Formats: sequence, structure tokens, C-alpha cells
Amino acid sequence: MGVLLPVGTRKGLFLLRGDDRESWEVEGPLLEGWAVYHAFVDARDGTLHAATNNPFYGATVHRSSDGGKNWERAEELGLPEDGELKLNATWHIEPGRDSELWLGGDPGVLFRSDDGGRTWQLNEALFEHPTRDRWQPGAGGMCTHSIQLVDDAMYVGISAAGAFRSEDGGSSWAPINQHVAAEFMPDPYPEVGQCVHKLLVHAKRPERLWQQNHCGVYRSDDRGDTWERLDGNGLPTSFGFPLALDPDDPDVAYVIPEQSQEHHYTAEGRLGVYRTGDGGASWELASNGLPERAWVAVLREGLAYDDQALYFGTQSGSIWTSPRGATQWTEAARDLPPILSVEAAPA
Amino acid sequence: MAVVLLPAVLAAEAGGQKRFELDAATVGDALRQLPVQNLLFDESGHLRRLINVFVDGIDVRGGRLLDEELQADSEVRVVGAVAGG
Repeated sequence: MGVLLPVGTRKGLFLLRGDDRESWEVEGPLLEGWAVYHAFVDARDGTLHAATNNPFYGATVHRSSDGGKNWERAEELGLPEDGELKLNATWHIEPGRDSELWLGGDPGVLFRSDDGGRTWQLNEALFEHPTRDRWQPGAGGMCTHSIQLVDDAMYVGISAAGAFRSEDGGSSWAPINQHVAAEFMPDPYPEVGQCVHKLLVHAKRPERLWQQNHCGVYRSDDRGDTWERLDGNGLPTSFGFPLALDPDDPDVAYVIPEQSQEHHYTAEGRLGVYRTGDGGASWELASNGLPERAWVAVLREGLAYDDQALYFGTQSGSIWTSPRGATQWTEAARDLPPILSVEAAPA
Repeated sequence: MAVVLLPAVLAAEAGGQKRFELDAATVGDALRQLPVQNLLFDESGHLRRLINVFVDGIDVRGGRLLDEELQADSEVRVVGAVAGG
């Protein structure tokens, strides 16, 4: 089966089609003028959704029912008119239960749509969370960038507020940051304020969560109640943004470490993908085919996977793909605008 | 009827229409009739910070911008603020 990669860039959306996953057709830019922070194809109806942002015209969401030929902009999306907070950016769209969609944004907000993304309703429980006054924006803003729904639980990751879990469909949210460091805070282990960079739940082992954090890589085997730090055992640094899992093996994960919080480029001057096959007890370089000398950046939405392969995009405009296991990387496209996000869909 | 002209990104969002003829007494009346009004105004109804408006070639700025009266033959041009080098 072939694959379609919606690739969000700072200068619009590109669609990469790989019928044989070896040669790639590039279409775009679509949504010209919009920075596409995240885009995906909804497997339920084939609709293409994009979180779109423009420095002049604000933050919104676009949807296309015909593969990107025509686009509709959300009719209703924003924060309460009488409040002090404004919607600064849209970050991530996630399909939910039945026909619902969820949208994460800045400043640490979450929206739900029940009409396919035409209108969005603010999640009041997260917006009015009693710990909100202790949240603070990271360098990328205070973004809700990770949204996961598994079984009856829902999780969000917010920079820099931490991870939260809801067991009542979003009516209430509990912080789940125990043992997760916030080394930039006076108290390095606060209840909230951790800088989650990406959070994923393993669909086949729903009590297992992974996160790449500002301060380390972590795994939880109890739905986020407690976390174990996993760096220092093969990873060159603890800092990075993207994270990928394996659809079947919950002990497998991938990260792309960066040099440090001050130096946002790949660690040790090489484009290094690191893989663990033992739940994070050890990590090995899995970069066959990638440049050995490189100072690039892969953003938090820039790494994706499906049951066949892994895919990532760099800020310098390259798309790389490898068969599952990260055994051999090849460059699928280059010289695109700075890449913000990559997703994969069957085609 | 006043004429409102949109830049390319906004015209694309308005279904490809760049020019609108509108019956409007003020700049605010005209802009709020546009199908892209939620890209021009934030949640509080304030014009977004990086949007400039020219009326008959004159850059209209400041708090009275939206109250600026239009004539029947006024031309309102919406422009993204020049940014970058």
C-alpha cells in the first residue's frame, strides 16, 4: 500500500505521495500564506485537516474534503470575548471518539468539534484549570501540542504546564507529572509547570505513556501516575522534541536528541535518530543513511510513523523515511520550506 | 458603494474574491461585512495588530480607525503591515 504524507511547513502545506514508498511525488504548496503547524487525514472520512497560523490574520483551522483542492476555514473558533486571553496559535488536531475532533492551541487551550471541524467549542475545564496561574509559556508559546485518546482516558501535553489526564471526557483534568523534572523551576519537581515536548500513548498497551520532555525522556506504565526517566543510557543528551513509537511493540520508541536547550540543533553535530527496543533501558543510534555531519532541527510534530515506516522532516526542508525499525534512511524530498509537521496516511 | 480591496491571502479565503462593493458608513462597518472578518478582528472585536487600512490612499491609524467615515466612492485597501527586512 502507498502512503500520503501531509507535510506542514512555514510556507503552506505539501502532500508527498509514495505509491511504492521509494519514489515520491510532491504537491504544493497548498494553503499558501499559512504556516501549517500540523495536518492530518482523518481516516474516518478522508477529510484533510490543517492547523493554520498567519502572523497578520491569526490562528485558525482549515479542512478539505477533496484532497486539498478546496478548503473551508473554521467558522467559529476563539476564546471568550470578554477575557484577557487570545488564541495565539493552533497546534495539533486529533480525531476523537465517534465523529469528534480535538484541537490544541496556545495559550494552553483545547477545543472540541462535533461537526467535522467547522465549529469548535472551548474545553472549559482545562481553560479554567485551578493550576493555570502556575503555567508559563515556553519558547514556542504555551501550546497544547499533544492530545491522546486511549480507552476511556484522554491525555494532553502542554508546554510549559505539564501533562494532564481526563477520565470523564474532558470534564476534569488531573496533573500527571510525578517524578518529571522541571529543572528550570525553583522546585525541580512541581505539581505542574513541566515542559512536555511530545507525549504519546501506546494504543495496544494503553497504560504505557512516553514523553520527550525539556528535561529528559520518560516512560510511565501506570497511565501517567508515575514516570521513570530514561536518558543517560545511550542518548547523547536529554533534550529534544519529536517522539515516535512502534504500532505493535510497546517497548520500542524513537527520539532525535538536540544539543541543549540553548542550542536547538541535532546533538553532537550529526542527524541522529535513537531507538530503544527495551522500554528505554538502553538506546542505540539508528541513523544508517542519514548525514553524519549535520546541524539541523526536527520539531515536535516533525516525526511520524505507521505500520510500514518512519518519516521525519527537518527545519532545513528535507523529508527522510526509513522502513520500520529505522534500518535504512532515504531522503524523500529536499529544499522544502522549514518543516513544522509530518503525518502519514494510507493512500 | 464603497469598494474594499483585499490582499492575496485574504482574497483566497474569500473564495478568490479580491474586490467587494459594500454599503457601509464607516471603515468598521465595511470590514465587518467581509466574509473574512474573523481574520481581521480578534475575539474581542479589535482589529489585529499587524493589519493596516488605507482609505483613498491614506494610511488610517489610531483608535478612530474603525469609525472613519466612508464616502459613496471611497476605496478601502486592507494591507498586512510591512515586516521583515
